[in-house]
Amino acid sequence: MLDILEKVINKVSLSSKDFLDIRYAYAMGESFTVRNGRFDSVSNQTTGGIAIRALIDNAWGFTTIVKTDKESILQAVEKVVRMARAGSKYTKQERSIGDSWVFEGKGATTIEIDPRAVDKEVKFEKVVKTEKAAREHSDSIAESSSTYQESHGKEIVINSKGTKVENETHVIRLMKNVIGREGTKMQSVFDSVGGAGGWELIEKWDPEEEGLKAAVMAEKLLIAKEPPSGKMNVIMDPSLTGVFIHEAFGHACEADAIIAKTSVLEGRIGEKVGIEEINVYDDPTVKGLRGSFAYDSEGTKARKRVLVEGGILKEYFHTLETATALGMEPNGSGRAMNFNVTPQARMGNTYVDGGDMKIEEIAEIAKDGVYLKDSYGGYVMPAKGQFYFSCQMGYFIENGEITDMMGNVGMSGMTLEVLQNTFAIGKPWEPAFEGTCGKGGQWVPVTGGGPNLAVSNLVVGGTE
Amino acid sequence: MSTEENLHDLAEYVIKYGTSLGADQVEAYTIFGSVKSIQIERGSIRSFTDTSNSGLGIRVIKDNAIGMASTTIFTEESLEKTIKDAYALAEISPPDPNFKSLPYDPKTAPTISGRFDEAIVDISVEEFTDLILDSIQIATVRDDAIISGNFNVGIGERYILNSEGVDRFASQTSVSGYLGVKIQDGEDIGNAYYYDAATQMKNFDHIKIGTEAGLRAQKMLGSQKIETASLPILLDPDSTYGTISPILSSGINAFSVFNKTAFFVDKIGDAIASSKLTITDDPFIPEGTDSAGFDDEGVVPKKLTLVENGILQTYITDSYTAPLVGLENTGHASRSSFASRPQPAPYTMKINAGSVSKDDLLADMKEGIYLMSSSIHSRGDNPQVSAQINQGFYVKDGELQYPVKNAVMGCTIFEIFEKIDNMSKETENRSGHEAPWMLLSPLRVSGGK
Repeated sequence: MLDILEKVINKVSLSSKDFLDIRYAYAMGESFTVRNGRFDSVSNQTTGGIAIRALIDNAWGFTTIVKTDKESILQAVEKVVRMARAGSKYTKQERSIGDSWVFEGKGATTIEIDPRAVDKEVKFEKVVKTEKAAREHSDSIAESSSTYQESHGKEIVINSKGTKVENETHVIRLMKNVIGREGTKMQSVFDSVGGAGGWELIEKWDPEEEGLKAAVMAEKLLIAKEPPSGKMNVIMDPSLTGVFIHEAFGHACEADAIIAKTSVLEGRIGEKVGIEEINVYDDPTVKGLRGSFAYDSEGTKARKRVLVEGGILKEYFHTLETATALGMEPNGSGRAMNFNVTPQARMGNTYVDGGDMKIEEIAEIAKDGVYLKDSYGGYVMPAKGQFYFSCQMGYFIENGEITDMMGNVGMSGMTLEVLQNTFAIGKPWEPAFEGTCGKGGQWVPVTGGGPNLAVSNLVVGGTE
Repeated sequence: MSTEENLHDLAEYVIKYGTSLGADQVEAYTIFGSVKSIQIERGSIRSFTDTSNSGLGIRVIKDNAIGMASTTIFTEESLEKTIKDAYALAEISPPDPNFKSLPYDPKTAPTISGRFDEAIVDISVEEFTDLILDSIQIATVRDDAIISGNFNVGIGERYILNSEGVDRFASQTSVSGYLGVKIQDGEDIGNAYYYDAATQMKNFDHIKIGTEAGLRAQKMLGSQKIETASLPILLDPDSTYGTISPILSSGINAFSVFNKTAFFVDKIGDAIASSKLTITDDPFIPEGTDSAGFDDEGVVPKKLTLVENGILQTYITDSYTAPLVGLENTGHASRSSFASRPQPAPYTMKINAGSVSKDDLLADMKEGIYLMSSSIHSRGDNPQVSAQINQGFYVKDGELQYPVKNAVMGCTIFEIFEKIDNMSKETENRSGHEAPWMLLSPLRVSGGK
């Protein structure tokens, strides 16, 4: 395939200011869910095609095709160049891609045990036993489900500046979701294991233990106290710190929002955005995490990103275009969900670096507030600098002690305030939030994490 | 076999080949979509996109076990592999005792007028761009306004065939667009967006997109934090629909009802809301963006009254769930993509109006929150609501005072339904969704002040 793409790109004549890239992307996946003792979907999915993108006279053109022969690709290239050229008369901004960032190489997720070689019955057993252990624990478990997913992708990226990259990604995941119900009160518990890698990442998952753990927690949450309301001190566990830093800060660091002037962090590189003790990184090169990869969908080699160090904003997430526009280095953040969409500036594995405090010490400093655990999702409006995230459960903190359990609750905060309002950083950090991040209709696997982290003045949206 | 030009032939081939392998039943669901998009960044055109997608989803039943496979690659080799994958998965999957049969519906699917518009098919890139530039110009309420957005025109086709005799085809056109506008005075940010979607170009209001996005951004300047309090909430029609529709979708979906996780399990005939609430679900609204003559299994749907004066009337079902909840198949099968298994989902809900004017609802509010294009709902598997106020205003003595920032509402979906205090007599139709202004009696609002 690389040969064909090279032949096509060599036939296209562009000015030195213009840019063209061709990306072949093929992916196959397998998934199944067992819900309340029945398989409710067992499926294989295959997608594949070629994405062609051109930047001509400051405007982009983009198209996709599923045929992979040279003539079809060439026709699509001609079409996309015409589209971009037509668009250029309407654009007012200058756009270009730097000449110096040329990448060549091959990358692949390390797999120790290829899940494609694992017998289906063995995979079935993991979800069946997980689901069953939770369901049979108690009559208050209304629904128990467990899902297995694996996906295997290959991208070949070639561009008019000289980049030629082949990259393979393999992602695996095993999930459990348990819903407890007593009358109109419902509480759900979700957890998952997996990452970029093979069967070895889920092999140690003990289905009976994991299923039971979720069911016991769901049962406890049904009789837990209602969460409080108002502005208060919040201590987050590593999972919640992960989704917090992802929503509160990560999205606002995506440089496509920076150049579009729709992020509150625009123009703040070098400025103090948090307390001196806080460091925030994103590293897609950590082995085994969901947001790990060797090259991004533009062919840029992935590397660790230093977002905040010593409380100072240091770096954004860059595509080739945003790095050029801002005079910075691309850092391998251009991710595309599949062949049918264009790369966007995205996170990989985002985390707050660990500090040195134990949870008991943090609670003592907080004195009163809440200790919240386990991510339940979130979102952000980067232009406004306001974010929302929620947890599955938590505990009250009273007079420096962690006391009664509470159910799930959501929180609101302001991007430019929260890192300044951090008052304690725990140890160590864990990549505990395994998520799938949505942006502009594209979904990509990510990880978030950190230590126990304490922030003042977060708004907690409970009912009491 | 090069089949991408004829999705019906492809679906027939799937049924025949699957049956020949030994399947008891086979279903082929194929889609084709062609979309032209224009992206706006900082007030001018950033990109033109022209993509076409095709997809095939197969369900194979063997000894009551179900296997599914899907692909976007329509070469002979890929098709054969996909069918064999689905068959192999059905062979090794445990049987589902609740599965009865793929459906067959001999009824002729009604033709819904206005679902296909040649004006959308024929619009040139230049014409569409001119329309977008108009919208941007109107949204430019200040020279320093930052405008971003996306506009799309598309054509979609859907074929559903199964071995029981279902053979359906539908096509539709769509046009949609949104603009986001950000204006800033120092640290004070006014940020808002507006969107519209239609199946007919004549119904697509690009002027209103620009006007509303610009006006709302101006209104969002000067936002303030508020004290934590229990306050009445007045929802604009977009917020009413955005709140009621997802709660009811999760609450009466027969799949969740059977699993005992729907909010309104065993509640048919019971009051689930204030008597002010009456809701219908209509699949056949002419020119409706969510209308359809048949569901995602090929069954002709029914127009349903879901809630009447607060009393739950029925659940929504598909072929799998109808026997499980002891109701007839209402034809509400819906797939999130060609690759997914269907589950019941509503078409277009209509929320009935009340008798009070919207102005009176606001004027009578001594202190409260006015929500604009927001929604207060929970995840489908948890009735606990903890929803951030994204576009809301603090109201004092019947007047909007200032936009609210950094605030979260906490309640349950049951409280929202019970606390419907009044509906306005006026309704507004936004992208085919019609709803009134809705007043909720006090809910807990956590403020950042």
